[in-house]
Amino acid sequence: MTELIDRPPLVEQPPSPTAELLRVRELHVSFGERAAVRGVDFALGAGESLGIVGESGSGKSTTALALLRMLPAGGRITGGSVELDGRDLAALPEEALRAVRGKRIAMIFQDPMSSLNPVLSVGRQLDEALRAHGERRPKAERASRAVELLELVGVPKAASRLGDFPHQFSGGQRQRIMIALALAHDAQVLVADEPTTALDPTVQRQILRLLARINRERGTALVVISHDLGVIAETCSRLLVMRDGEVVEQGATTLLLTAPRHSYTRTLLAAVPRLDAPSRAAANSTPGAEPLLVVRGLAKGYGPRRRRNAALESVDLELHPGETLGLVGESGSGKSTLARALVGAHAPDAGGISFAGQPLDGRRARREIQMVFQDPYASLNPRLTVGRIIAEPLIAHRVGDRAQRQARVAELLEQVGLEASAAARSPREFSGGQRQRIGIARALAPEPSVLVCDEPVSALDVSIQAQVIDLLARLQRELGLAVLFIAHDLAVVRQVSHRIAVLHRGRIVESGPADRVVTAPEHPYTAELLAAVPSLPTPTAGSLL
Amino acid sequence: MTTLSLPSSAPLLRPRNRYVAGLLTWRGVTGLVLVGVVALAGLLAPWLTDADPDAQGAQALAGPSGAHPLGTDDIGRDLLSRILHGILTDLSIILTAVPAGALIGAALALLAATSRAADLVVQRLFDLVLSFPGLILGLAVTAILGPGRWPVVIIIALAEVPYFGRQLRAGVLVQREREYALAARVGGAGRARVLLRHVLPNAVDPLIVQGAVALSVGVFIEGALSFLGLGVRPPQPTLGSLISGSVAYLDTDPLLAAAPLAVTTALVLGFTLLAEALNRGARS
Repeated sequence: MTELIDRPPLVEQPPSPTAELLRVRELHVSFGERAAVRGVDFALGAGESLGIVGESGSGKSTTALALLRMLPAGGRITGGSVELDGRDLAALPEEALRAVRGKRIAMIFQDPMSSLNPVLSVGRQLDEALRAHGERRPKAERASRAVELLELVGVPKAASRLGDFPHQFSGGQRQRIMIALALAHDAQVLVADEPTTALDPTVQRQILRLLARINRERGTALVVISHDLGVIAETCSRLLVMRDGEVVEQGATTLLLTAPRHSYTRTLLAAVPRLDAPSRAAANSTPGAEPLLVVRGLAKGYGPRRRRNAALESVDLELHPGETLGLVGESGSGKSTLARALVGAHAPDAGGISFAGQPLDGRRARREIQMVFQDPYASLNPRLTVGRIIAEPLIAHRVGDRAQRQARVAELLEQVGLEASAAARSPREFSGGQRQRIGIARALAPEPSVLVCDEPVSALDVSIQAQVIDLLARLQRELGLAVLFIAHDLAVVRQVSHRIAVLHRGRIVESGPADRVVTAPEHPYTAELLAAVPSLPTPTAGSLL
Repeated sequence: MTTLSLPSSAPLLRPRNRYVAGLLTWRGVTGLVLVGVVALAGLLAPWLTDADPDAQGAQALAGPSGAHPLGTDDIGRDLLSRILHGILTDLSIILTAVPAGALIGAALALLAATSRAADLVVQRLFDLVLSFPGLILGLAVTAILGPGRWPVVIIIALAEVPYFGRQLRAGVLVQREREYALAARVGGAGRARVLLRHVLPNAVDPLIVQGAVALSVGVFIEGALSFLGLGVRPPQPTLGSLISGSVAYLDTDPLLAAAPLAVTTALVLGFTLLAEALNRGARS
């Protein structure tokens, strides 16, 4: 067993590109009748890094799982081979495959919150990983190795933290521990399936750097699956673009991102919002002079009175009619709490909200301020038809009779770009983007003047994201809506907002015109946020046309 | 205006169909056949046998014969007729008691969802009922009301209330944290409307399974109460009282115990299989 720590780094002698470690030939995977992966072909040399990018349903995660033959129930490799050092894993018996998993190919998953066992200490879990594959080593040696692994992935004071449980670590640290577990046997290939999707941008950057460092210094070949081109651009030297289970294009990352040849890669790249693109909000609408919504000293905490966790310390905010205010902040900064306080779902502990110069009362708030939710799946009641879902606010506010409501629903559906016949369908018949349109139609039903959008596009694919953003912009232009656009993605926020406010630990630390906040941040935290955004190389002129 | 094309309306699995699919497995079909045959036999009792279940004849403890297909009991009553009529009594008891228990449990669970204080009270109420062993509960109720048909109904309903209540409460707690419930509130719906219109329909599914479980438990409780002499008053036959009456003659006339036992077993097994089938259907 070669020691990960003792082995000399491979920086001096980069592997020759011909040394094929992993070779995937004509891989086909099916779930029952449906083909999820159709003829994927790629090779990975020792110490190389490969990014697989694609929208949801493109088969990228299925491809990753098929490498270790860990497909979910019903999935099966129907053709092709996965060769590791010339041995076909797709044909290997289950018992022999077990010796490969974790030892030669290791995997890290998206959600560090649920991938670690909550009732075992981190030390125990590392120890378990080290004892797997029948290795017998003294306990003390395993413990010191566990410490080494934790230090390698950058967990501070590693030796004293072995006894700690997963909940005592932050999300980023948990993902680091997952990586340490994956490295326990010094695997030659590390497969990372959306490793940073659940993490904040600043933490994401740290994890991506860690992965790149492990790849560079230890020579571990890296396969990163992501929907985010920026993530891939930061970590992988080669890129593979998938759509509908097929590889549409592959090649060197820099080349592919600056001069894509396939039209799909081009559309994908064009749809990615870029941080250096100026705000388009001014062209869309001009905010009114008098503020419509004024928030002063808003505070809200959770938990019992003695040990209250303040989610919002003291928030001051102004929103003008026809204006889009972008609100950015990391998880735990109080974004969602603020949104819920604004729509009257939570009573604030202190401070006040006034609407058009008058203190806001509950009934008024529920009519004038409506909300668009993040999750297009959980936010629509599965038991009701689309028509009923959109009509619900009308019924609640006793607007019109049945026929009038029906007409209004049809009108709203058209307004968000859906057919009026959608009203009779169940929400589960619609895709994520279409569901988000239904959610927007519901929010528009009582003719609000303020729309609070809590991460309205973060659950959607980039091309769908662009459509929903366009829809919101058009609605603002047509209806003169004031929009509070809450998101963690700074590029999206800059694109849609007139002004940006940065929320940090329950306070607004900076606010100002969108372009100014992005180009010349005043607060160090804003600068830190901006630096963490993964950047894409600028496409060469004409390549995106 | 651009209009997105909609997905063609493919045949969809609606939640109800999952239960139907569950019933169409071997468990479901066996359960349906067992319950169906027993229930049908009970319903058709007046046509299946001419003998009056309470009429005493000259022949006591007679073996099977043309006039008495299963023989007679210790005071000469026709056993087949008593079993068939007993089924009817049992079914009428559990089919009143279980829905009543389910309704009361569900109502209490909804009450618990209204406020933290109400939740505390309702929860402790459930704990109180659950803390009594079923038998003690039965004794307590019959001590107050005396034995009879209605006390049995009340005992079964009372015993089932906490199970239905807790199940629904758990479902409501999960569902009302979902985003669609918040969306409904933001849309202006009042608390009652959110609870009844949005949360409740999404939380009731597990109660269907609980209902089938409760029916089998109901048969069981009726049998136990009658066995102890706390159940329906004689001479009205029930499955439990038939078994209890047969105990003294177990070594001489085993058929006297075996026949009602077989019917009780079929009924309990049938309901249990139905519950299991529905449960598996719901999870698939």
